[in-house]
Amino acid sequence: MNCQLCQKEMDAYRGGTLPEGIRIQVEAHLESCDACAQMNQLIFLSDKVMDEEKNLQSNPFLVTRIMAGIEDLAPGYESYHPVSVFQKVLKSAIVAVSLAAAIFIGVVAGNLYKPATPVNKIPVEMVYLNDAALESVDLLTN
Amino acid sequence: MTDNDIIAQILQGDRNLYRKLVEKYQPMVFRTCMGFLHNKDDSDDLTQEIFIQAYQTLSGFKGDAGFSTWIYRIAVNASLNKTRKSSKSLLVQRFEMVFGNSGKQEYSFPIPDSENPENILILDEHRELVQRALESLPENQRTAIVLSKYDDLSQRQIAQIMKTSEGAVEALIQRAKANLREKLSALQKKKKK
Repeated sequence: MNCQLCQKEMDAYRGGTLPEGIRIQVEAHLESCDACAQMNQLIFLSDKVMDEEKNLQSNPFLVTRIMAGIEDLAPGYESYHPVSVFQKVLKSAIVAVSLAAAIFIGVVAGNLYKPATPVNKIPVEMVYLNDAALESVDLLTN
Repeated sequence: MTDNDIIAQILQGDRNLYRKLVEKYQPMVFRTCMGFLHNKDDSDDLTQEIFIQAYQTLSGFKGDAGFSTWIYRIAVNASLNKTRKSSKSLLVQRFEMVFGNSGKQEYSFPIPDSENPENILILDEHRELVQRALESLPENQRTAIVLSKYDDLSQRQIAQIMKTSEGAVEALIQRAKANLREKLSALQKKKKK
Protein backbone atom coordinates (compact mmCIF):
# COMPACT_ATOMS: atom_id res chain seq x y z
CA MET A 1 0.00 0.00 0.00
CA ASN A 2 1.26 3.49 -0.86
CA CYS A 3 0.81 6.74 1.06
CA GLN A 4 -1.89 8.12 -1.24
CA LEU A 5 -4.06 5.03 -0.85
CA CYS A 6 -3.42 4.89 2.88
CA GLN A 7 -4.52 8.52 3.37
CA LYS A 8 -7.56 7.89 1.20
CA GLU A 9 -8.63 5.00 3.44
CA MET A 10 -7.75 6.78 6.67
CA ASP A 11 -11.28 8.05 7.39
CA ALA A 12 -12.77 4.60 6.91
CA TYR A 13 -9.95 3.12 8.98
CA ARG A 14 -10.63 5.54 11.80
CA GLY A 15 -14.35 4.87 11.53
CA GLY A 16 -13.70 1.12 11.73
CA THR A 17 -15.56 0.46 8.48
CA LEU A 18 -12.67 -1.01 6.48
CA PRO A 19 -12.75 -4.67 5.43
CA GLU A 20 -10.30 -6.83 7.41
CA GLY A 21 -7.77 -7.24 4.55
CA ILE A 22 -7.45 -3.51 3.81
CA ARG A 23 -7.37 -2.66 7.52
CA ILE A 24 -4.33 -4.93 7.99
CA GLN A 25 -2.63 -3.31 4.99
CA VAL A 26 -3.32 0.19 6.36
CA GLU A 27 -1.96 -0.78 9.78
CA ALA A 28 1.17 -2.27 8.21
CA HIS A 29 1.71 0.89 6.20
CA LEU A 30 1.22 3.09 9.27
CA GLU A 31 3.90 1.11 11.09
CA SER A 32 6.39 1.52 8.28
CA CYS A 33 5.65 5.10 7.13
CA ASP A 34 6.39 7.98 9.52
CA ALA A 35 4.57 10.62 7.44
CA CYS A 36 1.32 8.64 7.33
CA ALA A 37 1.61 7.72 11.03
CA GLN A 38 2.00 11.42 11.86
CA MET A 39 -0.98 12.28 9.72
CA ASN A 40 -3.01 9.59 11.47
CA GLN A 41 -2.00 11.01 14.84
CA LEU A 42 -2.94 14.53 13.65
CA ILE A 43 -6.40 13.37 12.61
CA PHE A 44 -6.82 11.48 15.88
CA LEU A 45 -6.01 14.61 17.89
CA SER A 46 -8.26 16.79 15.72
CA ASP A 47 -11.18 14.43 16.23
CA LYS A 48 -10.51 14.47 19.95
CA VAL A 49 -10.47 18.29 20.05
CA MET A 50 -13.71 18.48 18.08
CA ASP A 51 -15.36 15.84 20.28
CA GLU A 52 -14.34 17.78 23.36
CA GLU A 53 -15.89 20.99 22.05
CA LYS A 54 -18.95 19.10 20.88
CA ASN A 55 -19.58 17.57 24.30
CA LEU A 56 -19.31 20.87 26.11
CA GLN A 57 -22.55 21.83 27.88
CA SER A 58 -24.05 25.28 27.57
CA ASN A 59 -24.80 27.51 30.53
CA PRO A 60 -27.50 25.75 32.62
CA PHE A 61 -29.38 29.05 32.90
CA LEU A 62 -29.29 29.74 29.18
CA VAL A 63 -32.97 28.90 28.65
CA THR A 64 -33.93 31.24 31.48
CA ARG A 65 -31.68 33.94 30.04
CA ILE A 66 -33.29 33.57 26.60
CA MET A 67 -36.82 33.70 28.04
CA ALA A 68 -35.88 36.75 30.11
CA GLY A 69 -34.54 38.41 26.94
CA ILE A 70 -37.85 37.70 25.23
CA GLU A 71 -39.81 39.05 28.20
CA ASP A 72 -37.85 42.29 27.85
CA LEU A 73 -38.99 42.70 24.26
CA ALA A 74 -41.74 45.21 23.73
CA PRO A 75 -44.99 43.73 22.41
CA GLY A 76 -45.12 43.58 18.64
CA TYR A 77 -41.63 42.06 18.25
CA GLU A 78 -39.82 45.37 17.91
CA SER A 79 -36.10 45.31 17.48
CA TYR A 80 -34.32 43.88 20.52
CA HIS A 81 -32.27 47.02 21.10
CA PRO A 82 -34.21 49.72 19.32
CA VAL A 83 -32.04 52.68 18.36
CA SER A 84 -33.94 55.60 16.88
CA VAL A 85 -32.70 57.54 13.86
CA PHE A 86 -32.56 60.65 16.04
CA GLN A 87 -30.20 58.87 18.48
CA LYS A 88 -27.94 57.73 15.61
CA VAL A 89 -27.78 61.26 14.11
CA LEU A 90 -27.26 62.84 17.52
CA LYS A 91 -24.38 60.49 18.32
CA SER A 92 -22.62 61.22 15.02
CA ALA A 93 -23.21 64.96 15.42
CA ILE A 94 -21.75 64.97 18.94
CA VAL A 95 -18.65 63.08 17.75
CA ALA A 96 -18.19 65.50 14.81
CA VAL A 97 -18.64 68.61 17.00
CA SER A 98 -16.21 67.23 19.61
CA LEU A 99 -13.59 66.60 16.92
CA ALA A 100 -14.04 70.09 15.46
CA ALA A 101 -13.78 71.63 18.95
CA ALA A 102 -10.60 69.65 19.69
CA ILE A 103 -8.98 70.81 16.44
CA PHE A 104 -10.04 74.44 17.06
CA ILE A 105 -8.64 74.42 20.62
CA GLY A 106 -5.41 72.89 19.29
CA VAL A 107 -4.99 75.61 16.65
CA VAL A 108 -5.78 78.42 19.14
CA ALA A 109 -3.36 77.00 21.73
CA GLY A 110 -0.69 76.70 19.04
CA ASN A 111 -1.11 80.34 18.01
CA LEU A 112 -0.86 81.56 21.61
CA TYR A 113 2.55 79.98 21.98
CA LYS A 114 5.48 82.41 21.78
CA PRO A 115 9.03 81.08 21.58
CA ALA A 116 11.15 82.04 24.60
CA THR A 117 13.75 84.73 23.92
CA PRO A 118 17.33 83.48 24.43
CA VAL A 119 18.90 84.79 27.66
CA ASN A 120 22.54 84.69 26.50
CA LYS A 121 22.14 86.81 23.42
CA ILE A 122 25.22 86.96 21.17
CA PRO A 123 26.55 90.54 20.81
CA VAL A 124 26.14 92.03 17.33
CA GLU A 125 29.93 92.38 16.76
CA MET A 126 30.43 88.68 17.51
CA VAL A 127 27.92 87.74 14.83
CA TYR A 128 30.21 89.25 12.16
CA LEU A 129 33.33 87.59 13.52
CA ASN A 130 34.67 85.20 10.90
CA ASP A 131 36.43 82.28 12.58
CA ALA A 132 37.98 81.13 9.34
CA ALA A 133 39.88 84.41 8.91
CA LEU A 134 41.63 84.20 12.31
CA GLU A 135 45.29 83.39 12.31
CA SER A 136 46.18 79.99 13.57
CA VAL A 137 47.70 79.99 17.06
CA ASP A 138 50.15 77.35 15.84
CA LEU A 139 51.77 79.88 13.46
CA LEU A 140 52.54 82.23 16.34
CA THR A 141 53.98 79.57 18.64
CA ASN A 142 56.28 77.90 16.04
CA MET B 1 -47.86 18.92 19.81
CA THR B 2 -45.64 19.52 16.77
CA ASP B 3 -43.22 22.40 16.32
CA ASN B 4 -45.61 24.00 13.83
CA ASP B 5 -48.50 23.83 16.33
CA ILE B 6 -46.31 25.42 18.99
CA ILE B 7 -45.28 28.20 16.59
CA ALA B 8 -48.90 28.84 15.62
CA GLN B 9 -49.82 29.24 19.30
CA ILE B 10 -46.83 31.49 19.99
CA LEU B 11 -47.86 33.72 17.10
CA GLN B 12 -51.33 33.91 18.63
CA GLY B 13 -49.75 35.36 21.76
CA ASP B 14 -48.72 32.42 23.96
CA ARG B 15 -45.14 33.61 24.37
CA ASN B 16 -44.29 31.11 27.14
CA LEU B 17 -44.59 28.18 24.74
CA TYR B 18 -41.38 29.38 23.10
CA ARG B 19 -39.56 27.88 26.09
CA LYS B 20 -40.38 24.40 24.71
CA LEU B 21 -38.68 25.19 21.42
CA VAL B 22 -35.69 26.72 23.22
CA GLU B 23 -35.29 23.68 25.49
CA LYS B 24 -35.50 21.33 22.51
CA TYR B 25 -33.15 23.11 20.12
CA GLN B 26 -30.77 25.03 22.39
CA PRO B 27 -28.15 22.22 22.69
CA MET B 28 -27.76 21.87 18.92
CA VAL B 29 -27.60 25.61 18.33
CA PHE B 30 -24.97 25.87 21.05
CA ARG B 31 -22.92 23.06 19.43
CA THR B 32 -23.05 24.82 16.06
CA CYS B 33 -21.87 28.05 17.67
CA MET B 34 -19.06 26.14 19.41
CA GLY B 35 -17.97 24.72 16.06
CA PHE B 36 -17.55 28.20 14.66
CA LEU B 37 -16.42 30.19 17.70
CA HIS B 38 -14.55 27.63 19.88
CA ASN B 39 -15.34 29.64 22.98
CA LYS B 40 -17.99 28.67 25.53
CA ASP B 41 -18.97 32.15 26.72
CA ASP B 42 -19.20 33.53 23.18
CA SER B 43 -21.27 30.51 22.15
CA ASP B 44 -23.64 31.00 25.10
CA ASP B 45 -24.13 34.65 24.19
CA LEU B 46 -24.61 33.91 20.51
CA THR B 47 -27.11 31.12 21.25
CA GLN B 48 -29.12 33.62 23.28
CA GLU B 49 -28.99 36.18 20.45
CA ILE B 50 -30.02 33.55 17.89
CA PHE B 51 -33.12 32.48 19.84
CA ILE B 52 -34.17 36.07 20.44
CA GLN B 53 -33.66 36.86 16.76
CA ALA B 54 -35.63 33.73 15.82
CA TYR B 55 -38.45 34.81 18.12
CA GLN B 56 -38.55 38.26 16.56
CA THR B 57 -38.75 36.81 13.05
CA LEU B 58 -41.00 33.87 13.90
CA SER B 59 -43.80 35.29 11.80
CA GLY B 60 -41.49 34.86 8.79
CA PHE B 61 -41.24 31.10 9.37
CA LYS B 62 -43.19 29.57 6.51
CA GLY B 63 -43.06 25.96 7.63
CA ASP B 64 -41.76 24.71 4.23
CA ALA B 65 -38.76 23.20 6.00
CA GLY B 66 -38.70 22.08 9.62
CA PHE B 67 -38.11 24.52 12.47
CA SER B 68 -34.77 22.79 13.12
CA THR B 69 -33.59 23.56 9.56
CA TRP B 70 -34.74 27.16 9.93
CA ILE B 71 -33.03 27.68 13.30
CA TYR B 72 -29.86 25.99 11.98
CA ARG B 73 -29.78 28.48 9.09
CA ILE B 74 -30.06 31.38 11.51
CA ALA B 75 -27.35 29.83 13.71
CA VAL B 76 -24.95 29.31 10.80
CA ASN B 77 -25.47 32.85 9.46
CA ALA B 78 -25.11 34.42 12.90
CA SER B 79 -21.97 32.39 13.62
CA LEU B 80 -20.39 33.31 10.28
CA ASN B 81 -21.21 36.99 10.88
CA LYS B 82 -19.66 36.77 14.32
CA THR B 83 -16.46 35.14 13.00
CA ARG B 84 -16.22 37.82 10.28
CA LYS B 85 -16.50 40.52 12.94
CA SER B 86 -13.93 38.73 15.15
CA SER B 87 -11.41 38.58 12.32
CA LYS B 88 -11.91 42.34 11.83
CA SER B 89 -11.15 42.96 15.48
CA LEU B 90 -8.06 40.74 15.38
CA LEU B 91 -5.89 43.83 15.30
CA VAL B 92 -7.53 45.11 18.48
CA GLN B 93 -7.03 41.70 20.15
CA ARG B 94 -3.33 41.70 19.23
CA PHE B 95 -3.03 45.21 20.61
CA GLU B 96 -4.65 44.05 23.86
CA MET B 97 -2.37 41.01 24.00
CA VAL B 98 0.71 43.19 23.60
CA PHE B 99 -0.40 45.44 26.45
CA GLY B 100 -1.68 42.54 28.53
CA ASN B 101 -5.20 43.90 28.77
CA SER B 102 -7.28 41.18 27.20
CA GLY B 103 -10.65 41.38 28.94
CA LYS B 104 -11.75 38.09 27.41
CA GLN B 105 -11.43 35.11 29.72
CA GLU B 106 -10.51 31.87 28.04
CA TYR B 107 -12.55 28.86 29.02
CA SER B 108 -10.48 25.92 30.14
CA PHE B 109 -11.83 22.56 29.06
CA PRO B 110 -12.59 20.06 31.81
CA ILE B 111 -9.72 17.63 32.24
CA PRO B 112 -10.66 13.97 32.62
CA ASP B 113 -8.96 12.31 35.59
CA SER B 114 -7.69 9.48 33.38
CA GLU B 115 -5.64 11.81 31.15
CA ASN B 116 -1.94 12.10 31.90
CA PRO B 117 -0.33 15.58 31.95
CA GLU B 118 1.63 14.98 28.73
CA ASN B 119 -1.52 14.12 26.79
CA ILE B 120 -3.28 17.19 28.20
CA LEU B 121 -0.41 19.39 27.05
CA ILE B 122 -0.39 17.84 23.57
CA LEU B 123 -4.15 18.28 23.30
CA ASP B 124 -3.96 21.90 24.45
CA GLU B 125 -1.35 22.70 21.80
CA HIS B 126 -3.35 20.84 19.18
CA ARG B 127 -6.59 22.63 20.09
CA GLU B 128 -5.16 25.93 18.90
CA LEU B 129 -3.95 24.34 15.65
CA VAL B 130 -7.36 22.79 14.93
CA GLN B 131 -9.14 26.07 15.61
CA ARG B 132 -6.80 27.98 13.31
CA ALA B 133 -7.09 25.34 10.59
CA LEU B 134 -10.90 25.39 10.81
CA GLU B 135 -11.00 29.17 10.71
CA SER B 136 -8.87 29.23 7.57
CA LEU B 137 -11.34 27.06 5.63
CA PRO B 138 -13.67 28.73 3.11
CA GLU B 139 -17.06 29.51 4.69
CA ASN B 140 -19.08 26.85 2.83
CA GLN B 141 -16.54 24.12 3.64
CA ARG B 142 -16.42 25.23 7.27
CA THR B 143 -20.22 25.19 7.51
CA ALA B 144 -20.42 21.69 6.03
CA ILE B 145 -17.72 20.26 8.31
CA VAL B 146 -19.13 21.92 11.46
CA LEU B 147 -22.65 20.64 10.78
CA SER B 148 -21.26 17.19 10.03
CA LYS B 149 -18.71 16.87 12.85
CA TYR B 150 -20.26 18.92 15.66
CA ASP B 151 -23.95 18.28 15.03
CA ASP B 152 -23.68 14.82 13.45
CA LEU B 153 -26.15 15.82 10.75
CA SER B 154 -26.68 13.69 7.68
CA GLN B 155 -25.68 14.99 4.25
CA ARG B 156 -29.38 15.36 3.42
CA GLN B 157 -29.99 17.60 6.44
CA ILE B 158 -26.87 19.65 5.71
CA ALA B 159 -28.00 20.04 2.10
CA GLN B 160 -31.38 21.37 3.30
CA ILE B 161 -29.74 23.85 5.66
CA MET B 162 -27.22 25.04 3.06
CA LYS B 163 -29.85 25.01 0.30
CA THR B 164 -27.74 22.83 -1.96
CA SER B 165 -27.62 19.24 -3.23
CA GLU B 166 -26.42 16.23 -1.26
CA GLY B 167 -23.67 15.67 -3.84
CA ALA B 168 -22.40 19.20 -3.33
CA VAL B 169 -22.35 18.67 0.44
CA GLU B 170 -20.39 15.44 0.05
CA ALA B 171 -17.86 17.21 -2.16
CA LEU B 172 -17.64 20.10 0.32
CA ILE B 173 -16.98 17.75 3.25
CA GLN B 174 -14.32 15.83 1.33
CA ARG B 175 -12.58 19.05 0.30
CA ALA B 176 -12.87 20.41 3.83
CA LYS B 177 -11.25 17.27 5.27
CA ALA B 178 -8.43 17.37 2.74
CA ASN B 179 -7.86 21.09 3.35
CA LEU B 180 -7.97 20.56 7.09
CA ARG B 181 -5.27 17.87 6.91
CA GLU B 182 -3.12 20.02 4.66
CA LYS B 183 -3.46 23.09 6.88
CA LEU B 184 -2.93 21.13 10.10
CA SER B 185 0.18 19.55 8.70
CA ALA B 186 1.50 22.94 7.52
CA LEU B 187 0.69 24.61 10.83
CA GLN B 188 2.40 21.85 12.79
CA LYS B 189 5.53 22.06 10.65
CA LYS B 190 5.54 25.83 11.11
CA LYS B 191 5.22 25.42 14.87
CA LYS B 192 8.08 22.90 15.04
CA LYS B 193 10.39 25.34 13.26
